[in-house]
Amino acid sequence: MAPPIPESSPELTIGVIVAVTAFLATSVLFGFFMRKKAKSFDEWLVGHGDIGPFVTGFALIASYLSGWAIFGNAGLGYAYGWSGSWLIGTICIMGMALCLVIGYRMRRYVALGARTVPEMLKVRFESRAVQALAGLAMIVLLIVYSVGQYKAMATVWTITTNTFFQWSLIATAFLVLVYIAVGGYTGTQWVSCFQGVLLTIIGWTLGLVALMWAGGPSEIAGAIRTETFMRPGGENTTIPLDGYTLPLPAPSGLAFAGVDWLGVTAAIFMFLLMATGFPHNIARFLGTRKITKREYWVMLLILILGGLTPLWIGIVGFAARAVWGNALMGAEYDFGGKIFGDSAATLVSMSNGVMFASLFAAAVFAASVATLAGMVMIMATNITRDLVHNIRPEIPPKRMLWLTRLMLIPFIIIPLWWTLTSTPPILSEFMAGSAVAQAGIFFFVVGVSMYWKRATKWGAITTIVYGLILTIFHPNAYGKFVGLYHWGYWALLLMFGSALVYLLVSLATKPLSEDKLEKLFPQRKKG
Amino acid sequence: MKAYAFLALMVLCILLVPLTAHYLGEWYAYWGHALLAIIFGVLAVFVKTRYYWEED
Repeated sequence: MAPPIPESSPELTIGVIVAVTAFLATSVLFGFFMRKKAKSFDEWLVGHGDIGPFVTGFALIASYLSGWAIFGNAGLGYAYGWSGSWLIGTICIMGMALCLVIGYRMRRYVALGARTVPEMLKVRFESRAVQALAGLAMIVLLIVYSVGQYKAMATVWTITTNTFFQWSLIATAFLVLVYIAVGGYTGTQWVSCFQGVLLTIIGWTLGLVALMWAGGPSEIAGAIRTETFMRPGGENTTIPLDGYTLPLPAPSGLAFAGVDWLGVTAAIFMFLLMATGFPHNIARFLGTRKITKREYWVMLLILILGGLTPLWIGIVGFAARAVWGNALMGAEYDFGGKIFGDSAATLVSMSNGVMFASLFAAAVFAASVATLAGMVMIMATNITRDLVHNIRPEIPPKRMLWLTRLMLIPFIIIPLWWTLTSTPPILSEFMAGSAVAQAGIFFFVVGVSMYWKRATKWGAITTIVYGLILTIFHPNAYGKFVGLYHWGYWALLLMFGSALVYLLVSLATKPLSEDKLEKLFPQRKKG
Repeated sequence: MKAYAFLALMVLCILLVPLTAHYLGEWYAYWGHALLAIIFGVLAVFVKTRYYWEED
């Protein structure tokens, strides 16, 4: 007989509050300690350029593993079966390895005065317009990404403490504000490293425990073979979950990445490009010191360990489906916030004891609060550093700091309002929309531009504009009004279209002069 | 020339991802993808450190 679906209890509520508080307090203390060591704003952003492979590796893991990977992947596995694997990111290590080999060159731009990703673009193209536009694009795409973080935290809070979803959302927004206010975002690399280690340990443990809890791999596979797809809210279908594609009916079903092999191809390219395309990921290399070849291998090992974490969380979803069938897709698991299958990871953790559920809640908060706080900070500095300071460089630093603090409020409220009024039913599927855009735009504009001398500012500008326009035509946004129903077509059009625009416009326009490029692309030593 | 051979192997790893999903399925594909991704990562770092290492 299947174990019952667990419910909240007073012990669990206390356990979750203690674990989340302990995590936040540790992060804030870390941040405080590291902030004391930094003597200026610039030093805080990139440290002393002395961060080694261990810290950089795990910091990269923390910025990559957001609410999507550590929480939403279970929802994907639960709702879509094996076809959910394409958004779970079974090949995400490929993209992370590309980020590792490409991103290291960011150090070169730190030496030339860059402290943020848009500033790196200003240096690369000698253009404030590119800096400002990149900042603007980051704001748009990070707001979408922030919605996912809110849903992850509020879901865990709602289920474990039996609070209304809307109140949970407001409570988590308040937590983020407090976290930022007391300086939890500071000492970023070290705090992120701590969070990366925590996420990896808890993700692997939960996956292994879920695998055993559900009776082992063959039991899970056998159970999934008998399951059929059920829409969030309770409408059952006869479409089996046993394959790596899920032929959902058109037109609404075409918005799912795993609907056919074209969607699958797009998902593969998304995972190849997005780790480098995420500005918050590649920024991790800004504080890295010169590393040796052996240390490069150490970083790869860390990325492999951390990069398998999303797969373990996906397994939690498969395990929940095997044990509870499609129950969580039913209307009673809406929890007032369209939670449904996204509740799988939390409920499995609750099935394995209070301590385990509390630790998992802390892990979700580790991934989400830190990512959200980091993104809010990035968006606020995009406004002040990349836009306002660009236009009015004479504004004193103290006023800029106050303006940055003021800008935190709208960037906490906008995604909160979005989540409150239009909660996405399957979190990771929603976040993939923003991921495609970040992959399509920034892989080329940031990643490729560091290696391709012929890239021009007009190539970068048109790519950003093209990518942003295409983003609006996501099948679940305005795409359906122009006949763009298929996620795969949309994603490929965005990513390959961005590549083509970037290539053709760059070749058609004039690059920087040779002497300027010489500084950015010094000759390699022979021998 | 050798570097291109390794790059070709990396492309092969990508091509094998949908093929394993189609022909193997279930757990074999799930962990097979992870294995292919690890091989891809090892090759990427090998090519970087062996052929394109940058000295500052």
